[in-house]
Amino acid sequence: MELILEREGNGWMKITLSLILILSISFKSFADNDHHTDMHDVMAHLLTPASEKIWNASGFIITKEGEFSLEPINQEEWNEVIFGAKVIMESTFILNRPDRAKGREDWIRFSELLEPIGKKALEAAESKDSEKLFSVGADLYQACVACHNVYMKK
Amino acid sequence: MINFACKSIFTIFLLILSINSFSHHAFTAEFDANAPVNLTGEVIKVEWINPHAWVHLEVEEAGKKTTWMVEGGTPNTLIRNGLTKQSIKPGTVIVVRGYQSKGKLCLPRCIANGRDVTFPDGRKVFMGSSGTGAPRDGADPRERR
Repeated sequence: MELILEREGNGWMKITLSLILILSISFKSFADNDHHTDMHDVMAHLLTPASEKIWNASGFIITKEGEFSLEPINQEEWNEVIFGAKVIMESTFILNRPDRAKGREDWIRFSELLEPIGKKALEAAESKDSEKLFSVGADLYQACVACHNVYMKK
Repeated sequence: MINFACKSIFTIFLLILSINSFSHHAFTAEFDANAPVNLTGEVIKVEWINPHAWVHLEVEEAGKKTTWMVEGGTPNTLIRNGLTKQSIKPGTVIVVRGYQSKGKLCLPRCIANGRDVTFPDGRKVFMGSSGTGAPRDGADPRERR
């Protein structure tokens, strides 16, 4: 009888420990995945399209036939860049929302890079300065890479 | 019982470790570090665009011409390294060392990440970006600092 109780007790301990194991992993995975999905959406629907408005509006394509500039050719196209620049400016605050940034000092630092970059892009777009926009586009990419190297998942 | 508890704790430790090690670099998302390429070909097009410049090459192997799109660093980085619109013009024959994309179907063209480019006069220039997670293969001068 004692042996049975001991066996049953042993069994319950195993079940309890297994549950703790499963729950601890599930909770961590859930928390990570939840944050990952949230950030994936923010990147896919907000930051990436906004960045592309800046990147696609400056630069050159050179072939044997000659050089083709990507600079916007009318106010409507510049307005697209202005829109992208404003989204990048505001992204600092979107990324620094307390539930996304609390306790993550490097995340906050990376996010704070975006506001001045967006502001420079806005100035470049408002003054139709394609050269400045080209330079700001490079800064924007460096800020993205710095953060992705730490936080982006496969 | 103690044995089982130890095993459980060790398993938890390993699993959490494996979950945390999924952080990634931009390079590994798109390119294959185990597929190095060494391309010799004529430049047919250069895209000086952010976030990456692209050099299009026509590579001839065994009588067959293949177009390769080679990703470089940001245009500003390339200019700082000595690659300019004047130095890498269409018609120039160059040698590019790099890594092929994970997708290797080459449809409609092959894609690679460029590490360095060698010009006809023997000048070699780093054409990638630092800190992207590309293999430490000696191409990036910053690696040696």
